[in-house]
Formats: sequence, structure tokens, C-alpha cells
Amino acid sequence: MLDDIIIGQYIERDSFIHSLDPRIKILVIIFFIITIFLINAFTGYLFLAFFILVTVLLSKIKVKYIIKSIRPLIFIISFTLIVHLFMTRGGQIIWEWRFLKIEEEGLRMGLFMSLRLIFLVSYTSLLTLTTSPLALTDGLESLLKPFEKIGLPAHELAMMMSIALRFIPTLLEEAQKIMKAQKARGADFESGNLINKAKSLIPLLVPLFVNAFRRADDLALAMEARCYRGGEGRSRMNALLLVNKDYIVLALSFVYLISVGIFL
Amino acid sequence: MKTNIKKISELGIALALAVILSYLRVYQMPQGGSVSLEMVPIFLLALRWGWKDGIFLGFTYGVMQILLKGNNVYHLLQGILDYPVAFAVLGLAGLFNTKIKNKFFVVLAVLLGGGLRFIAHILSGVVFFGAYAPEGSNPWMYSISYNSTYMIPEIIISILVTLFLLKGLSEDFFVVEGVKAVDNE
Repeated sequence: MLDDIIIGQYIERDSFIHSLDPRIKILVIIFFIITIFLINAFTGYLFLAFFILVTVLLSKIKVKYIIKSIRPLIFIISFTLIVHLFMTRGGQIIWEWRFLKIEEEGLRMGLFMSLRLIFLVSYTSLLTLTTSPLALTDGLESLLKPFEKIGLPAHELAMMMSIALRFIPTLLEEAQKIMKAQKARGADFESGNLINKAKSLIPLLVPLFVNAFRRADDLALAMEARCYRGGEGRSRMNALLLVNKDYIVLALSFVYLISVGIFL
Repeated sequence: MKTNIKKISELGIALALAVILSYLRVYQMPQGGSVSLEMVPIFLLALRWGWKDGIFLGFTYGVMQILLKGNNVYHLLQGILDYPVAFAVLGLAGLFNTKIKNKFFVVLAVLLGGGLRFIAHILSGVVFFGAYAPEGSNPWMYSISYNSTYMIPEIIISILVTLFLLKGLSEDFFVVEGVKAVDNE
């Protein structure tokens, strides 16, 4: 049940996109999402496809990884396509069989909406493919800093995520160990109905939770001993630093995406 | 605000637990959806630290899910509803944190959090179908029927597991700032 799990999608490469500041990448993604909803013609998608292609080439990520991230959405994409094909009306009839009818507008909208989904998913997955979760967390903390004024504790949020990222592998290993130990005692995690399953998971969950919170205690003690006292005035070993190429990428992407979004 | 180190580290660990449990597929639905226990750590910590920290933990979990699985956002509003909002509302289970001795209130707490998450997913589904489906189709029907296939079993199993866990974990787990000093004896 818990075997061969890969948490996160990050693939390490030595590429231009990998070397960009995570904050810049997050901002470009947001521009991209806004643009894709502004576009309402296929010509706009042509320019967007070019933008995606350039990013993929610069990231040195193999296309198969991007296709892999689209695969879980095959159902939603084909559903969108089919619903539009048979339900959107307008234009000439392309194909007809008894009560089923495909009209021009249906084909156009179906392709348009499926492409929108494919573009969105492939571009957003590029962010997680080229940026490690820890870098994303740092970037997010810095981007959310202004919201601290309205009460969003950005530092605490990032700290919690860093702790979680650090402990996911440890706790996962622990969970696997407990599972094996309980299986050796005859526990059955795989069969039964919903209620039986809930019951059968208790011998796994109780030791897992108790151990995890013991770790949390130790961790708090260790942090206290190292004089951690929240985000205020805390310095970093690897501070995020914007360099020229970050500004250039941000400016170019912004101008390109917004003009594509507005004019096409 | 002074940072409470114990709280931060516990919420961080709970976040890790929730991520791990989200990969533990308890039940696989025929059409691809799956039921997991990811809500349970959020409920437990909300019951321990109260609803404000519960909401904060849920919100962070939602943001983290986007960062880890980044490919389920098809629309800004849908992304916000499906992740940060859907999980933040789970924290409201913490409204009942003074009444956890009573099983009835624990069930109520999980139902409240889970039910609100269900609503958030339904709304996001409506946003999704509004953006992608043809005009004239009924987005509410699609959204409710799709989301109930996994949310209803997930809420049921979360109620059961939360109840079992509360029995399994010691009572002073829910006494914050350890009033009992057992170690000193």
C-alpha cells in the first residue's frame, strides 16, 4: 500500500530554468494561468504552445515526464472533449448518426477546451518538475511576506512546510516498518469493507502517530536549544537573491504573455 | 505574536503525516477516485490546538498539496477552492476541542469539517464545469455526483478512524502545555 511512492515530482537537472529564482517561476505561472483564460482563439494557443516549447527546451526536462503528468487527467480531458462534441451546437453538421450529432462549433470548442487543460497542466507541472519543494517553500514564504500585515503568518507556514518535507521520508519509512511488523503478527490491511478497513488501520496509525508526536517533542526541544524564536530577524544560509536573468525572464514573460492574452 | 515552537513542530509533523496518509489509498474507486485518511491528522490537531490553528494547518496542507502535485489546477478559483479552502475548513472541527470526551461532539466535529470540505469541492466543480463544459448543462448535478463518490466514504472512514484514534491515544494528548507532570515523580 505504501510502496514505491514518489513524493513531489522534482527532477534535478543543470538547466537555465532550474537556476531561476523560485519566486520568478511562481509569478510566471500565475501570468500564464491568467493569459490562458484571456485567450479565445486558436491563434493565441499557437503563441502559447511556442512559449511552453521554449520553456521545456530550456529546462532540459524530457517530454515524457510532462506527458506523464497529463496522464492522470486523461479522463477529465476526454470528458470535456466528448461533452462539447455532442452538446455544443452551431455551424455545419459534420457527422450524424441517429440522435448523435457533431456540429462544427462542438468540434471547435471541444478541441479548444481540451487544449486549454493540456497546456495548463503541462505548464504548471513544469514548475514542480524544475523546482525542489524546499525552494518552492522558500519562494512562497518570500512572496507571502506582504500578507503578514493582514495576519497570514508566512514564516510559520513555510517553517511548517519545511519541517514536513524533512520528516516525510522518515515517517514514511517508519510507517512501512510498522506495517511490516503488524503484518508479521497477522494484521490484514488489504481486504474487508470500509468499516473493517478503518479498524484494521488502527494498529498502524496509533504507533505511527505516537512516534510522530514524540519526534515533534524532540524537534521542538532541539529548536529551542538552538534559540529559534520565529521569523523575526532570522537569517539564512542560502538567501534567495534575484539576479539580472531573473528580472529579464520576468519582464519578457510578462510582456509576451500579457500581449498574447490581450491581442489574441 | 510570539512563535510557539512546540505548536509549530507539531503542526509540521502533522503536515507530514497528512501527506503520507494521502498516498495511502484505503479504498480505490472504480472510476479512479480514491479514499484516503489525509484529513485525520488535521482533525486531531484541530481538536488539540483549537480551530484557529486547525484552519492554519489545513490551509498550509492545501498549499503544500499544490506544490507537491502541482498539476491539478485548471482555473485560479478552482485551484484555490480545491486546495487551500477545502482543507482550511477542516480546521473548524477544532470548535469542539473542549468537548472531545463526548463521542457525539467528535463525530459532529468531523462531520462539520468534512462537510464543509465537500461543499468547497462541489463549488470548485461548478467553477470547473462552468469554465470547460458547454452552456446549458447542469454543473451542480455533475459536481455533486462526482464529488460524493469519494467524499462520502472519506468522511465516514475519517469519523471512524478519528474515534478509534482518540481511544488509542492517551488523554493528555489533548491537554496542551502538559498540566500533568508525570516525569517529575
